[in-house]
Amino acid sequence: MSLGEMAEWFAFLVLALISLAGALGMATTMSMFRSGIFLMASFIGVAGLFILLSADLLGLLQIMMYIGGMLVMILFMVLFSMDPGGAMMADMKMSLVERFFSLGLSSGKKDDGGGDMEHGGHDGGGMEHGGDGGDGGGMEHGGDGGDGGGMDMSMTTPVKGWAALLGLANGALLTGLLLLRPAWPESTEQPNPDSAEQIGNLLMGKYMMAFEGAGLLILIGIFGAVLIGRTSRYPDDRSRTAYVTVDAPPPEVEESAGDVVARDSKEGD
Amino acid sequence: MAVPLTAYLVVAALLFAIGVYAVIAQRSAVMILMGIEVLLNAIGLNLIAFWRFVNPGDYSAQIFAIIIITVGAVEMGIGLAIMLLLYRNRSSVQVDDYAELRG
Repeated sequence: MSLGEMAEWFAFLVLALISLAGALGMATTMSMFRSGIFLMASFIGVAGLFILLSADLLGLLQIMMYIGGMLVMILFMVLFSMDPGGAMMADMKMSLVERFFSLGLSSGKKDDGGGDMEHGGHDGGGMEHGGDGGDGGGMEHGGDGGDGGGMDMSMTTPVKGWAALLGLANGALLTGLLLLRPAWPESTEQPNPDSAEQIGNLLMGKYMMAFEGAGLLILIGIFGAVLIGRTSRYPDDRSRTAYVTVDAPPPEVEESAGDVVARDSKEGD
Repeated sequence: MAVPLTAYLVVAALLFAIGVYAVIAQRSAVMILMGIEVLLNAIGLNLIAFWRFVNPGDYSAQIFAIIIITVGAVEMGIGLAIMLLLYRNRSSVQVDDYAELRG
């Protein structure tokens, strides 16, 4: 095996590890903010795989779109649901410090995202199995202690065991089928190194309609998002009123001059 | 190409499995959207791997991948806007709280 091939294998393994460990951390950590960060690691890993597959434009696009665009939206939403005025604040705070529950993630008390990702990465295939048992146990504990609080605090549905089983079966089935299947006929052709030019030509020529359709879709999407998300001018439409983080001031009371004087003197004390 | 096609496909399959788990098991709508993004990533990886190994001369696969990214972005924007609205109404983005939408 030549040096170049070894380098390619090394890059592939590292990037695959980053993307898989990131996705797994996203799915299993208990802190929503951290799942966003794990998701970013996963996106970066996949972008690296794209570049390794000599789709360099797509790799850059992946980073710019997913991380620069969507992840910022996601993190904004995560922070929004932790709004200090919101009722979710306490739960979120607790889960941030306290726990991720662990598919291979150590459930240490410290906020140490990098270390956790390393841990998650080390035991590649085995960690899904280990996590499965951990899932069920953690879930039952959550159910036993305090029903109302337990329900609110857990980030996962009661069918988590089944979901883990389904995901595991899915992965095992697909992997098995892929490994057992005879190889696809591979082409030895080398792609054009200037992929941006090729893609641009295709977008403006053969796939013009798809390009225009995607543009229209984005436009309609922007309209829809603005229409749904904006606050209404009509005060009786409660669902659209602006979200206020501070409690509304108490209604004004009609008071005579004597009351004001009395209250002022009391406050003076 | 030292790394075979199957290796990339296995990575994509595992990503898909993790995404399925996240979509089903997570309770918060934001987390479900994240799971969907992982699913889309797995699909894109599949497309690009097949493009590179089976027919690297035809760049149509990358157009598909770009379209997938676009649709993912729009879906994310609309989903987050809906979530914002739901949060304003009931201060919750947990999908269990909207179980009456089952119809």
